[in-house]
Amino acid sequence: MMKLIDLKNIKFPTKKDEEFRKIDLSLLYGYEFKEKKDHVLDFDVLNNDALSSNNELYKINQNLDAKSYELNIVQNTDEPIVIIHKLNDDAVLNTSTLNIKVAKEIQASVIEVFVSNCQNSFYSVNRTFEVEQSANLNYFKYQDIKESNSLIINTIIDLKDKATIEHSNFELGDGVNVNIYETALNSEESNLNINGLVRLYNETKSSSIFNTYHNNKSSFSNINFKHSLHDHSRAVFEAKSIVNDGANFSKVLQNSNTILLSDDAVIFAKPHLEIHIDELEASHGATVGSLNQEQLLYLRARGISDTKAYEMLLSAFENEIYDNIKDDKIKEFITNFKRSDYV
Amino acid sequence: MLDIKDLKVNINDKEILKGLDLKINPGEIHVLMGQNGAGKSTLVKTLSAHFDCEVTDGDIDYKGKDLLELDVSERANEGIFMSFQNPVEVPGVNNSYFLRTAINEKRKYNGQEELDTMEFLKLSKTQLAKFDIDKKLMKRDLNDGFSGGEKKRNELMQLLLLQPELIMLDEIDSGLDVDAIKTVATVVNDMLQEDKNRSLLMITHYDRLLSLIKPDFVHILKDGKIVKTGDYNLALELDSKGYEGIGINDEIN
Repeated sequence: MMKLIDLKNIKFPTKKDEEFRKIDLSLLYGYEFKEKKDHVLDFDVLNNDALSSNNELYKINQNLDAKSYELNIVQNTDEPIVIIHKLNDDAVLNTSTLNIKVAKEIQASVIEVFVSNCQNSFYSVNRTFEVEQSANLNYFKYQDIKESNSLIINTIIDLKDKATIEHSNFELGDGVNVNIYETALNSEESNLNINGLVRLYNETKSSSIFNTYHNNKSSFSNINFKHSLHDHSRAVFEAKSIVNDGANFSKVLQNSNTILLSDDAVIFAKPHLEIHIDELEASHGATVGSLNQEQLLYLRARGISDTKAYEMLLSAFENEIYDNIKDDKIKEFITNFKRSDYV
Repeated sequence: MLDIKDLKVNINDKEILKGLDLKINPGEIHVLMGQNGAGKSTLVKTLSAHFDCEVTDGDIDYKGKDLLELDVSERANEGIFMSFQNPVEVPGVNNSYFLRTAINEKRKYNGQEELDTMEFLKLSKTQLAKFDIDKKLMKRDLNDGFSGGEKKRNELMQLLLLQPELIMLDEIDSGLDVDAIKTVATVVNDMLQEDKNRSLLMITHYDRLLSLIKPDFVHILKDGKIVKTGDYNLALELDSKGYEGIGINDEIN
């Protein structure tokens, strides 16, 4: 039997921490898990995590001596590399640590699927992405963790000169889900794109926290999330982008759009820019609303039922994230995806 | 087909229609004219169950059914089509998908088999080819970035494919050039010719459209009621003399 709160040398974030004001993980910290389990991957094992982090939750896996794996991509991938994570056992503390490394000038695609078929389990995931000079990584994450399970993904992104990451997320599960991104754009013309679709029902909670530092010139970051929130669900979007000296001619974009589909659904959106230079392009915004009544009426006035019209408009809102995915093979994967194939 | 009795309608708690009576028989063409604020658009919006309109009194019988008991989509599937004055843009919803969905919802409502993609394309090609309407609009998102004229052409496409029984055109001629107005008239006349039981209720301020689609009845609305009814000659008289000239004084606002 073990509890997260008993782990040593971790200062677990609480609601007193700025980024966690709207996220309550105290029940998770105090939950008594019956055992811990490390997700085994068929990749090389690293002695140490490749990168260090300021994120205290990143330390969970290190504290539990989880194996660090490395996926070293040195050739262009014709098909996406697909990694499936399926939680099967109740009340287990699962861990997974993986460093995805893309060699210079390589074009790579990786898909990770997180699903569950159990109750009261927790998955602590550490991901580092190291994309070398002029390389391009298309990464897609599909998350459909079921109710009563929790998933925390701590992501560190390191991009070298002219490297690009297209990072897309579909957050569709009913469990508690936290994503924490740390990116230091230390290299010239590095490109960070993070896209997210967060579709929540019931009592689901999903939080996405981004800390992005522009430290070199002509670096680019674009964080673009869409939330469609039903029932009593709640989502958090906390994006902080800091543009430091030396990051002239950078471009920084943050955007959160939310449709609230119930009176009880809640979004906390906080896009935040901190700019220390003059030469740059930046924008940030957050919108919150419901489905457009005029549009609904127009569809219904042509005989389309209320439910169908509602679905059509919601898909139109959500599809922008799908359309932003640049890798056709990933799009094909999403089109053909059936959850039942994995659980 | 349509029998409206003593209809009273509020918009934002203000009474706009104040006891309107109108009867439209199968195959008839009716025109509503009147100064701004008289209640013309409110009437057609009420008939298509627009959320702005609150019916406070009166009855509407449509093909033997209580129209006020039917919701927006049911009215459409019963054969009522309102051409919007300013069709809303719906980015992300493909026009072709929207049209096929609308047709299939109507077919489902009437207990008919749904059309698959090929059948739909065949139908749309046949219908649109008759009137030289540009099919490119089908590939775009619904009204998204359309010019005023393109939006009106898109309304015509929907009209042609949905084949309604009661057509309501709310100022479809506004902002259209002469050629586009002719296309509207050709489509509507052809549809009326094709089905002699099909009826038309249109709102216009101008004689141009009426010279191409000859009405059986012209109604002048004032202050939420029909105050004068005549034939096409009433529209001609109005065009030459103005409202005051035919005894309709502007004392609405």
